[in-house]
This record gives sequence, C-alpha cells and structure tokens, in this order.
Amino acid sequence: MKTVLIILSFLTATTINAQAAYEKGMTKAFELWETKTPDEAINLFERIAKAEKENWLPFYYAAQVHIVTTFGIKDAEEIELRLKKAQNFLNEAKTFSKNNAEIMIMEAMLNTAYVAYNPSVYGPALSAKVEELYQKAKALQPKNPRAILYHAEWKMGSAKFWGKDPKAFCPEIEKAILYFEKETHDTPFYPKWGKNQVKRVQQSCQ
Amino acid sequence: MKSKLTIALLLLVYNLSGQINITGKVTDKKGIPIIGANVYLEGTYDGSSSDETGSFSFTTSETGQQNFIVSFLSFETYTLNKDVSEMKNLNVILKEDVNSLGSVVLNAGSFSAGDNSKASVLTPLDIVTTAGSAGDYIAALQTLPGTSNASEDGRLFVRGGDANETNIYIDGLRVFQPFLATTNNIPTRGRFSPFLFKGTNFSTGGYSAEFGDALSSVLQLNTIDEPDQEKTDLQFINVGLGGGNTQKWDNSSLSVNAFYINLKPYQGLIEQRVKWITPYESLSGETVYRHKFSNDGLLKVYGGLNYANFELIQDDINTTEGVNFGLKNRNLYLNASYKGNLKNDWDIATGASFANDENDIKIDDTTVDDTENSFHFKLKLRKRFSNQFKLSFGAEQFLNTFSEKAEIPSIDTFNTTYDNHSTAVFTEANIFFSKKLALQVGVRGVHNTLLNYSKISPRTSLAYKTTSKSQISLAYGDFYQAPQQDVLKYNSMLEPEKSSHYILNYLYQDNGRTFRAEGYYKSYKSLIKFDTEIPEFGSNFNNNGDGYAAGLDIFWRDNKSIKNLEYWASYSYLDTERDYKNYPNRATPNFAAKHNLSLVTKYWIKDWKSLISTTYNFSSGRPYNDPNESVFQNQKTRTFNAVNFSWAYLISQQKILYFSVSNALDFNNVFNYQYSNTPDANGNFSRRAIRPNADQFFILGFFWTISDNKTDNQLDNL
Repeated sequence: MKTVLIILSFLTATTINAQAAYEKGMTKAFELWETKTPDEAINLFERIAKAEKENWLPFYYAAQVHIVTTFGIKDAEEIELRLKKAQNFLNEAKTFSKNNAEIMIMEAMLNTAYVAYNPSVYGPALSAKVEELYQKAKALQPKNPRAILYHAEWKMGSAKFWGKDPKAFCPEIEKAILYFEKETHDTPFYPKWGKNQVKRVQQSCQ
Repeated sequence: MKSKLTIALLLLVYNLSGQINITGKVTDKKGIPIIGANVYLEGTYDGSSSDETGSFSFTTSETGQQNFIVSFLSFETYTLNKDVSEMKNLNVILKEDVNSLGSVVLNAGSFSAGDNSKASVLTPLDIVTTAGSAGDYIAALQTLPGTSNASEDGRLFVRGGDANETNIYIDGLRVFQPFLATTNNIPTRGRFSPFLFKGTNFSTGGYSAEFGDALSSVLQLNTIDEPDQEKTDLQFINVGLGGGNTQKWDNSSLSVNAFYINLKPYQGLIEQRVKWITPYESLSGETVYRHKFSNDGLLKVYGGLNYANFELIQDDINTTEGVNFGLKNRNLYLNASYKGNLKNDWDIATGASFANDENDIKIDDTTVDDTENSFHFKLKLRKRFSNQFKLSFGAEQFLNTFSEKAEIPSIDTFNTTYDNHSTAVFTEANIFFSKKLALQVGVRGVHNTLLNYSKISPRTSLAYKTTSKSQISLAYGDFYQAPQQDVLKYNSMLEPEKSSHYILNYLYQDNGRTFRAEGYYKSYKSLIKFDTEIPEFGSNFNNNGDGYAAGLDIFWRDNKSIKNLEYWASYSYLDTERDYKNYPNRATPNFAAKHNLSLVTKYWIKDWKSLISTTYNFSSGRPYNDPNESVFQNQKTRTFNAVNFSWAYLISQQKILYFSVSNALDFNNVFNYQYSNTPDANGNFSRRAIRPNADQFFILGFFWTISDNKTDNQLDNL
C-alpha cells in the first residue's frame, strides 16, 4: 500500500513537473516571439506541440507566428512556404480540438494572408472561405472578440473595395472592445490577443 | 525494505544523474549551414535552433535510446534513433523536400489551371472570364498555344490533330460525349457548367500512361471537393435562363443546377445565314453530391441529363433548296469517383462513369436513330516509397455498345451495331533525383476485343530545373486510338491509329510573369483511309494513312507590369501534313492553319466596378481543295480575325450585369469552300463559301447570387 502511495506521489510530481515545463516553455516561446526571433519561437512551439500531444495550443501559436511573419515579408516563395506550414500546424491543432472557434479565426487570418499577398489569384478563390470561417466561428462563440474584430476588419476591407462606407461596421468594433474587457479563461495560454489591434482597425471609423 | 528499494529505483529513474549535452551541426547536401532548423528530442521539451553556423547544442536529462529530430521548412525531417550519450558532434545533412515549392515540375506538354499546381499558368477564374468563351469551359482553352482556331466547330483541335484526337476526363473518368450535339458549321460547346470545376489540366501532348485512346490531347477537369458556402445562383440571359443551389452539411454537400436555352427570340432579331425551322433549344440539369469520410476519403457523384432539339436548312452547292437537317439528342452522364489514403503510404483512386446517348436525326427524308451506351471503370493505386520515389499502377475497363437504324425511303432500312470493348493496364514511376531533376517513366497496355488488337505504349518525361525560375523538360510517348464511330459502323477489321510525340519545353516563371516555349514533333501512322466521300456501307477501308505535325508553341503571360491589367499572348506555329480519309496524298487539312495567335486581356476598372475583357484571335489562311486546280488542297482562305469583347459590371457584390459580343469589329471570315460535285458547261466547278451562321453573337445577361455571407458572385462563371 505504502509503495503504491509512494509511486502515486512520484507520478503526481512528474505531472506537476511536466506542467511546469509546459508553462516555462510556452512563456519562453512568447518571449522569443516578442524579442523578434519568430523562427525560434516557432521552433519552440513546435517542440512543445510534439512533446505535449493532444494539446492544440502550441500548434495554434506556431501557425500564428508564421502567419503574422508573412505580413512583413515580400518574397513570394517564403510567404507560400510559411503559409503552407501554418496550414499544416492548424490541421494538427484541429485534430485535437474540433469545432474550435479560435482555430477557425486563425484559419481565416491565414487565408486573408494569401489574399493580401496575391489578391488577383487568391481573392476570388478564398474570399468566400474567409467569410464562412468567421461566420462559423461567430456561430460557435457569438461573444468572441477576435472573431468580431477581425470579421469587421475583413468586411470593412471589402466595403472599401466596393465603394461602400466601411463605417457601417464600426459598431461591431465597439462590441469587440466590450467583449475583450469581459474575456476570461481558465486554461493557461488560451488565446486572448487582439485587443491592441482595435486602434488600428478603428482608423477607418474616423 | 521493499518500499525503500522502490524509492531507490524511482529516484534513479527520476533524477537522471545529471544532464547530457547534445551537440552537432546541420547542413544541406553541399555542406552549406542551415540556420534556424528545429533540433530536439522527440516527446521532450529538450531542443534548440541551429545558429548562424548551423551548429546547435542543448542539454537533456533523458537517457537511453531516444529519437533525435531535425526539421526545417522545405527540407525533409531528419530522425536519428540513438542512445543520448552518443549524441555528440552530430553531422546532420538535411535532404531537400522534393514536394515543396520551388521543385522541378514534370510539365512537358501540359497547361494546368488550379490553385495547387506549381506549374499553373492560369487560374480557374481566367478560363471563364475570357472574352469570347461565353461561359464555355472549352472555348477559353482555344486561346492557349497548340490549339487551332476552328470556331465553326467549337471543339479542340490540337497540334495538327482533328477534334476526335482529344479526350476529356472528369475526376479521372472518361466523358464520352463532352460536347452538345450539333451539325456541320454550327459550333458546339461543352456540356458542363463551368462552376463545377476547380482545376483543369490540358495536355497538348506527351501525357501520362494513365490516359489512352487519344492521339493528340487529354483534358482533365476536376470537380470542386468542397463548395465554400450554401448559395443560390440565378442566371437570366438573352438566350435562356438557369438556376442552381448548393447545400452543405458537416461532411457532405449537394449542388444542383438547371439551364434552359432557346435561340428562337434571338434568331428572330439577328439575321442568320442558315434557315432555322426549329431554332436550337436545350434543357439540361446537373447534380453533384460530395461526401468526405472520417478517414479523409472523398466520394463524388455527378449526374447530368441533357435534351437538345433543332432543325434547319443548310445551304448546299449541289441542291438549290438546301439540305434539311433535324436533330433530337438526349444524353445521360453519370460519374462516381472515390479518392482516399490507405495504410502504409498507399493511395487509392477509383470510379466509374456511364453515358447513354440517343440521337434522332433527320436528313431530308432519311431518318437515323442511334443509341450509344458507354461505360468506364478505373482503379488506380499509388505507393509512396519515399518522397523521391512513387509508383502507381492501375487498370481500366471500357464498354461501348452502339446501334443505329437508318431508314432511307425508296432504298432500304439499314441496321448497324457494334460492341467496342477494351481493357487497359498501366504503371508509372515518379522519381525525384533531387529538387532539380525528376523523371517519370510509364507504360500502358491495351487490348481491344472488337478489333482484336493488343498494343503497348511507353511514356516518359524528364524535367530539369536550370535556375530557381526556369526549367526545361522533355517528353516522349506512343499513343494509340481506336477508329471512330463513323468507321466502326462499317468495319471492324482495322488496326488502331498511332501517334508518337517528342516534346521539348522551356518554362520561366517569375512572380506574376510566365514564359513558356514548347517545340514538338508528332508522327502519325496507320491512319484510316477509305475510298468514298464519307465512310459508308461498301467503302473500302485500310490503315495505310500517315502524317506528321511539327511546331512551336509560345505562351507569355504578365500580371504585374500594368496595374489592374492581366494579359496573355499565345502563338502557335504548325507545320502538318497527313494522308488520311479519302486524301489522294499527304496534304494539310482544312482545320490546320500555319499560324495561330491569341491575345487575351482583362482589365479591372475599379471606379466602374467593371471587368473588361477582350480577346483577339488571328489565324493565317486555312487550306482548302479547289477541284479546278490540279493539286489537292493547295488553296488558302483569307486570314481569320476576330476581336471578342465582354463587359461584366458588378451592380453590387452579388449582382452582375454582363454583355459580350463576338467579332466586335465585324471581320468577314471564311472557314472553307464547298465545291459542286459536277462542273458547269464551261468545265468549272462552282463554289460556296462556308462562313459563320452569323458574323457576331451578342449576349446580355444578369447573374444573381444569393448567399448568407453576401460575398460570392458568379464572375468566375462568365
């Protein structure tokens, strides 16, 4: 009996250790991203993802770093490579978490990145898909501030293209701000980014 | 005591006496350091990224055998299983991933349009926004090099081959009657609505061993795997109306559409050169069901039904009152395909297609009723041994039964039937020697039970990447094709016709600009000859015909140089002669002009919310035969010129107003001449020019898409 207890306590210790390692690793990865070494951040997220198994978050962030990085580069081949890799990460994330609104939002951003870099090729092919992803995400989580904010930005972009007033979507941004304030999550490292983008999106409302 | 021992053991495992340092260097095959590769022990947090010199170093508390992994974009992941204590000064050489972007592509002979193909020169959207195509998937392909402009026919004439030498496949399965039924000099169009397809591969020669029974060309159309959204499409045009609806569920979707065409009101307004008794009328319906299985396998089922009916009087030099021709056609086409992954890197693609085609034809007082049933089954398996080596093989069965009853009053009733079945097997290996050099070798064997022949045809292609933006490729292949229906009706003792292709291709792609040049030589052997004007009961047939085609195809496309303007230009030079049908000697057929040129432009005017497309087509004079001359087929028509124009105006995001006119500048074009069978009193054969039924064709339409998300529209179908 005693042996069992000892073993059990050791196992708990191991789990706590793994949990601590996860938190340390994730924190470190975010630091790497903030200190402008995105590729190191991606590598670390990928290592964590592979070690963790069954956890969608490290895959999700590995994809996000790739996607965000493409906004700052010009080389077509590198953009395509990164977006393809990001899609693979998101596919992995999806296998561990089905019907996940956050992954859908990230996938919408990924497709937006394709459209942004080559509108004439990817615009017609992917616009409907981006729209559908945001709608699906909002159906799952009507109060998700990222879904609301980025969907509004996407709609404003297309309103500008069609010569309509993008300000029609400004109330949506107000809604997003409200939901950002209320956002809470028990899961560590659950996505909560986006609040600092509100100002940028709001520029079209002036 | 026992517990103490356990604790001791656990401590030993847990505390892992100290840390081990893992070190090494990552380079590519040439020894150039790879910076930023992800280096780690599988299943642990222990790892690092390689630095500027490719070196890495990290510590681990793991012991014993572990999987050491190195991964990096566009390289294959490296795995090493070893005891961690031996992981010192590792020399990791990463292999380039030949599946990644920037790899060489086996593309000799083919044009791809699709999002995923690396050698795409066109997008699916391009195909259908081309002016002059009027929503016909096939018409847009006629602006690509290698095709001959034969706008009185509407089908694809590739590199000196006639229209029967091109076969069309949907999702890998044969389409038996891809074109709407029509008659001489009334251009046909593809039966299928363009919005069903997501990608196209148009091969003008040297295609894979997977495809047979075509001497010149194979067109593969792939249907959409998963529609983007639920929607309803409505189309109102001056020659008909249509509608479609798409529904989506978790793992499946269903699309249906129907279209009705009636040319009567149009032909009442615009003068025609033929006299229509019953103007062209057709009703068609299509449905596609798609289901994705939990193992990622994809099933697609397509069904299409089409009725067409028309009657007209065609001018004929030999009868003053003309020839009365009437046709009623009913065509049913079913196609079911499945694609999926099996265990151990095996892929499967299988499916079957079936077509039932019935024609009631009336030529003056002769009536012809024919029925054709065709069936195709295909099974293809592919094993991926590594990224460098893949092997595929498969088998196909074709069944084709034809029966015809021709009643010629005052003569007799003739019944003709035949069963033309064939079985084929094929295998093909894809070998990537490196990211720069790839080879495909295949062979196909076919046995035909009607004509009782067996043939083996080798196929091969090789591609080499010369720089990061350019590559050259070569292809060679032998191709056999059974005689067509008009011959098989009367003779089943013939051999198949044969062609051999030799192709050299150069491709340059740079961020929105594509240059492609392809030279080829094609030899024809065993072409079918007969000794009457058209194949008929009592004609003597033989396989003694032959011929060749040689040429150069140039394609240039530029999306970057001028803002909002996309354009491409194609030029084809064609030198061909053949001795076939009832030709007295080798000569250039009427459909093969020496020079063909197309210039396609698409200009987006943001302020007008309009897409303006123009297409200019030019062909040098087409050969024709003048019986007043002693040399066969030595005359040439005047050159062909046409400027097609279309304007799509987006009223709102989902409503489009569309206008198009073919031959906007009203060039006077002549395709051929028909000479009288008998000379006049002076010994001259008189003639009649074969010209379009109308010099111009106008389309005015309104396209409305209704969907929840309000972004999609039908621009890509125009």
